[in-house]
Amino acid sequence: MNRDEITELAALYALGGLEGEDRARFEALLEGGDPTALAAVRQFEDTLAGLTAATPEAPPASVKAALLARIEAEGRPARRASVTPLPDRAGRRGMLWPVVWGGALAAGIAALAVGLTVGSSYEKRVTALGQESAMLRGELERQQAVIALIRDPSTQVVSLAGLKPAPVAKARMFWHARAGGLLIAAGLPAPPEGKTYQLWAIAGKQAPVSAGVFGVDAKGTGSLRVPPLPGVGTVDVFAVTLEPAGGLPAPSGAMYLAGKS
Amino acid sequence: MPPGRTQSEEAAALIARMAQGDREAFSRFYDAFAGAAFGLIQRVLRDPAAAEDVLQEVFWQVWREAAQYDSRRGSPAAWLIMRAKSRAIDRLRSIRRREKTFVAPVDEALARRDDPAAPNPGVAAEERGLVQTALGQLPPAQRRVIELAFFDGLTQTEIAARLGEPLGTVKTRARLGLERLRGILKDERLPAT
Repeated sequence: MNRDEITELAALYALGGLEGEDRARFEALLEGGDPTALAAVRQFEDTLAGLTAATPEAPPASVKAALLARIEAEGRPARRASVTPLPDRAGRRGMLWPVVWGGALAAGIAALAVGLTVGSSYEKRVTALGQESAMLRGELERQQAVIALIRDPSTQVVSLAGLKPAPVAKARMFWHARAGGLLIAAGLPAPPEGKTYQLWAIAGKQAPVSAGVFGVDAKGTGSLRVPPLPGVGTVDVFAVTLEPAGGLPAPSGAMYLAGKS
Repeated sequence: MPPGRTQSEEAAALIARMAQGDREAFSRFYDAFAGAAFGLIQRVLRDPAAAEDVLQEVFWQVWREAAQYDSRRGSPAAWLIMRAKSRAIDRLRSIRRREKTFVAPVDEALARRDDPAAPNPGVAAEERGLVQTALGQLPPAQRRVIELAFFDGLTQTEIAARLGEPLGTVKTRARLGLERLRGILKDERLPAT
């Protein structure tokens, strides 16, 4: 191959259009460390990088925030519940265990003092605290599942855009074929009496599969934890429609949100 | 930037720190290159939501694979941009494949949503940007080959078929076009340096 020929292949290689036998020949040159081929690719790739650097577009801040959160989650692997830091609200309840143990100890002393009779108020308190800790543990497990979902590289992240009935609505869907997913929606109007929002997953040419129903709070935000759906792997489209309360097996109402993966 | 260090060396140092798990380095690398990558991805996909997803994917990959960066193979900017471009083209191809089989109501609903009055940011950038002026200085035949390959993801034979030209002509135009583009971008950079 002469120099011009190598440079031609390098140009198409950098542009991404080289294929077939030409591509195989050129890649063999690169692997063999051919200085002309390497220098030409480098030069053309720099040219194309320079071309794109001339027209930057500022991405929304949410992209960087999502990346930093993902990196943060990755750097802090899921551990035993006892050492995972909790958000503020739950953090204050970190004081719970000393109270539980304190309560149990006090109950023990009371039992010693009055024979086998345990003060019923202590018993109630211990039971209540036990229930509260079980609830917190459940909440923690749910949060850890969400973090695990976000940090898994095979999790699909799909943005859903508001359609005609709610143009300002937005949602983001995290979906993992084996773990299920999480929908977070904002800007939706409160559903009318007797109606609910229903999420659908569509894979290829298959019929939409219901991924559950959800409502929204006063601010129009809602979320839905979706279990793994039998027979559904990679999803191409997520859509939200308005349906009768309880949801339907197939969509019937107006589409409020949709997004393609 | 320490004196004497080029922008490229500075970026390579950030990649090396990222490979050690340095999040601050990632943040700075993102700030330096996300705009160029996002402009390119938007231009390829013309769909802001899909472009955001791809941008995130690209930088996530960069974070995970920073240790594999080899400065002998290319500059940090080229490393990132080539990655952004292939991911965007991959996504474009999968969208095109799916469009043939796709659930029509969803597409229609999404299409109706597009307000014709609202300018598409990708197109707007294209119209005002230097890409246009730099590309615009190329002979149209060369420019077309570069656009079809780089922004539309067509292969050499697809380009030849689209333009009704022999493959050899497509190859020559790709080379001449990129060589000329390189000269144009160099000239434009001169006043700033």
